[in-house]
Amino acid sequence: MIIKINVARFVLVTYLLTALLFWAGSASATDSYEVITNPAVTEKTLSKTPLRAIFGMRLQTWPDGTAIKVFVMPDDAPLHAAFSKEKLNVFPYQLRSAWDRLVFSGTGQAPETVTSQEEMLAKVASTPGAIGYLTKSRIDGRVNVLQIK
Amino acid sequence: MVLPAFLSTCPALADKTAEPPKPLQLPSLPQLPKLSEMPKLPQNLQIHGFFSQGWLKSTDNNNVFGNSSSASGSFDFREIGLNASMRPLTNLQFSAQMMSRTAGEGSPGNIRLDYGFIDYTYFTGEASKLGIRLGRMKTPLGLYNDTRDVAFTRPSILLPQSIYFDRTRKLALAADGVHLYGEYRSDLGDISFQAGVVRPLVLGSETEVALLGERGAALPGHFTPDGLFTSRVMYELDEGRIRLGFSASQLNMGYSPEYSPTPTDPKHGDFGAGSFRFTPLIFSAQYNAEKWSLTSEYAIRHLEYHDFTSPSVPGSATLDKQNFTGESYYFQGVYRFTPAWEAFARYDVLYTDRDDRSGKKWETVTKQPAYSRFAKDITVGLRWNLTPHFMLRAEYHHVNGTGWLSTLDNSPARGDPTPHQHWDLFSILGSYRF
Repeated sequence: MIIKINVARFVLVTYLLTALLFWAGSASATDSYEVITNPAVTEKTLSKTPLRAIFGMRLQTWPDGTAIKVFVMPDDAPLHAAFSKEKLNVFPYQLRSAWDRLVFSGTGQAPETVTSQEEMLAKVASTPGAIGYLTKSRIDGRVNVLQIK
Repeated sequence: MVLPAFLSTCPALADKTAEPPKPLQLPSLPQLPKLSEMPKLPQNLQIHGFFSQGWLKSTDNNNVFGNSSSASGSFDFREIGLNASMRPLTNLQFSAQMMSRTAGEGSPGNIRLDYGFIDYTYFTGEASKLGIRLGRMKTPLGLYNDTRDVAFTRPSILLPQSIYFDRTRKLALAADGVHLYGEYRSDLGDISFQAGVVRPLVLGSETEVALLGERGAALPGHFTPDGLFTSRVMYELDEGRIRLGFSASQLNMGYSPEYSPTPTDPKHGDFGAGSFRFTPLIFSAQYNAEKWSLTSEYAIRHLEYHDFTSPSVPGSATLDKQNFTGESYYFQGVYRFTPAWEAFARYDVLYTDRDDRSGKKWETVTKQPAYSRFAKDITVGLRWNLTPHFMLRAEYHHVNGTGWLSTLDNSPARGDPTPHQHWDLFSILGSYRF
């Protein structure tokens, strides 16, 4: 009897812990984020194909001729993984190999990696032509939100 | 001038007088600014580089990159590169890479310009791009040739040798001239192309042997590259989930021996002046999922000899009859257990002459081993990314045939033992990049 109760308790606690972990995990993964640009960028909406080309480092200028400056989080940052998969439909390793092919054949350049969301906000706010991504709650008036069609 | 200096000493004085004694503090070393606070590099200048060191151990006297069949194996495999790129204008980029590669007799490690060119984008829009490159560009061949010496961009320590031969690599590496490139992007995928008219850099002695035979290559003569036409078309869906490619190149090259053949003098060759036409075609396909990737490439290479006759030697056109077509393919699967660990397996096949896959005809004519005309390589390997900048790799090859073994590292003529048909190769490699 005692053993049974303990087993039941154990199962219940495990179940609750697992559920909690899942809840916490999914909560952080779906923490909504937006694509942001420097306020001087005139684009307000962008479709998926040019967005992918921008983060693939193959589209280098905005329609008005300004150079695009791409900022990303490190390859293993959860926000980078979520953004790559959901907005670009690619996996972080694919982006890295595409950038490596450009950098080591001389046919392109790599994006600039920032180490924190604070740095992402500061860099995008202060760099003309900048594009990046940021958790919604951290976005303020220093950057524009780019709607992805 | 004095005031700031005075002010800056004030806190120190105040510390001494007003505050209780602190634990002993070591004088702090001059600190570099954090990477993010470093002064901005001008004109979008970017600098990247890599350093790789490998160790190879093989069986049966079959040497790969140095004396790898010796008891201690070979450390004679090293790749070092440094590149810089800058974009002074939005449609203009300058790029150059210097590198040194050590890999057995064929690559002694001298520093050379790997690529160096000006890239001008003539037209760029949301959906398309058209541009031109001038200078020394990497030759677009298959999925891996453009960055073949950068370990991080390869699927394994050794690229599939059936297509990316290391022994006659010099011809395929890079070339001087002009490239046109363009791409068109849509929801149905991206199509891109590169096409160029270039002049190959050097042949390399292994290529000369491959073209003229060991005896022919030893005779004095001149190669005159008439030009290399090179092109690649790629289709990519979802930034590389599916990648399909077709590469076509054609190399035309003349050759004239220093001395015309004479029937009486054995020092002179038995062929006259002539020309080569080499036409490699490569079909590439890759599928990339989150955890795994499947890759396959198929290549067919036609080599044609023209002329090489000599009026002074009856029946002298010995090379003229040596036209042949080589064939290669491989299948490769990569599985990523975690972002840090991945494993791969590959089956890679080379036939030097597709009309003589077993090499038997070759053996009858030349008395050379039949197994030197093919290679079937089963490879398994592991990759461990310790950090985004440093990785370790290990792989094991079981090979039937010596078709792609370097004739410089395995030269019975120079006293090396004859390579065996069935052999194994184990290799580890560490690579750093930034």
